[in-house]
Amino acid sequence: MARPSPSTAFGFLRGLAQANRSQFVCENSPILRASFSSAASTNAKAVETKDAAAAPTKAVATGGRKKSRYQMRAPRYYKGPLNPNQPPPVSDPSSRAFIPGPFTAERLEDHYYDTLKSDIMTMTYTHLVPGEERARKADRLRSWDDSSPYHKNRPLRGPRGGSTLRLLNKPRTFRNVPGLEKITVHTMVKGALQDKAYLAVAGMVVQAITGVRAEVRNTKQQLATWGLRKDVPIAMKAELKGPQAYRFLSSLVDVVMPRIKDYQGAKGSSGDSSGNISFGFSPEAVALFPEVEVNYDMYPPKMIPGIHVTVHTTATNDKDGRILLQSMGVPFYGKLID
Amino acid sequence: MSRILQSLQGYVPSLLRPISQKPASRVSTSITQVRGKKKSSRGGKDPRIQLIHYSLYHPLTPRPLKFSYLRHLRHWTIHRAWQLYKANMRRERELELERMYNSIRDSCEKLKTIGDGGRLYRIAISKQGLGQWGGIGTRIPTEAPGRNGGWDYTYKNQ
Repeated sequence: MARPSPSTAFGFLRGLAQANRSQFVCENSPILRASFSSAASTNAKAVETKDAAAAPTKAVATGGRKKSRYQMRAPRYYKGPLNPNQPPPVSDPSSRAFIPGPFTAERLEDHYYDTLKSDIMTMTYTHLVPGEERARKADRLRSWDDSSPYHKNRPLRGPRGGSTLRLLNKPRTFRNVPGLEKITVHTMVKGALQDKAYLAVAGMVVQAITGVRAEVRNTKQQLATWGLRKDVPIAMKAELKGPQAYRFLSSLVDVVMPRIKDYQGAKGSSGDSSGNISFGFSPEAVALFPEVEVNYDMYPPKMIPGIHVTVHTTATNDKDGRILLQSMGVPFYGKLID
Repeated sequence: MSRILQSLQGYVPSLLRPISQKPASRVSTSITQVRGKKKSSRGGKDPRIQLIHYSLYHPLTPRPLKFSYLRHLRHWTIHRAWQLYKANMRRERELELERMYNSIRDSCEKLKTIGDGGRLYRIAISKQGLGQWGGIGTRIPTEAPGRNGGWDYTYKNQ
């Protein structure tokens, strides 16, 4: 038999697994070990011989070529949690969402874990004296002062100066060092109102520079001054996570930003006060991405869009988020507003 | 049929001419040229946009992979090994960071009691110069030096 049949292989593996398990069980008792392992090996042999006896008839039936048994066929569409035909996990090659890889290590990601993370932790270290309790701050949600009988059973008042609770800034430990969470690349194409081709080109550009399928975003509301109606496709967006985000950021820092003429960097006041920082690039800068530049002729030059990049970090304030980006090489200009 | 053609002879002389005199190919090209003028409704005129549209929205996608038993088993084994490797790596990194944090904390405590009035301790926990990241220290390391020598002789640490 040229190739082992699947059933033989599985029988053999099953035997191996049993043998391993029994060895593991009786590792501490050398007296039992010999008898157990010999029993397991005979068991494995028995399984193997039985399967080998059954296999040749099958091989003859299919003309020598092994045909697999039943194979899972991933459903083309997700039919809900109650359908018996559920899609396999994404890591399974038979899944439709399966992506092979990874084929490379991201330089920036390695650099972050090897150097930057510990550096940031050391630089932003806050000393907590062991055994000493920290001063307790006042409750963020305020209670009513009971000046009116209607205050009874009311939910607590919101924080001072606004209705939303901000993120908590906890003292730095090894568990809350700021890191890269995800990157959003967004481009609003005004020409898409007249010509849908603008949107297609924008999607292609975003997909080329990020390596992620861009999704179409519609207008949220009607705005007559900009000629916008509600629910009209107007923008493309791509979300990058993990290695793709690191790769995008490193190509920004290493390739694109140094080549932009008179580039100052991201604005110092950028940020949403919870550690997410955005900056933009003009269409000329987008054309400098190596993925666009290598086949620049394939895009209509007037349709290449500018992009907005939002870097979502795990930092809880803009200062820490900016420190992370600065350490990764993103320059900032102007007054730094925290 | 021939009667009709003869009746048309006065108006359309070319109809009864032998085929050899006028090549049939030229006739057919003229017909296709007329048909070609029809405006295509999708994708616009620019072939680049047509190509982008085609490559983005083509409905046929490759079918999912089918592996044989052993190949699937091999793939699964490698996948599990890779996941294990990643988990171990993550745990090691976190433990290393925790070890660093603990040693920073312990050394800060020692600096307090060193007997110099807490000067070194104050320097250690100060956060001055935090905003001035950038420059040579932030370069993402590469295997080979940059094109211009890789060493900046004019660099001065502030």
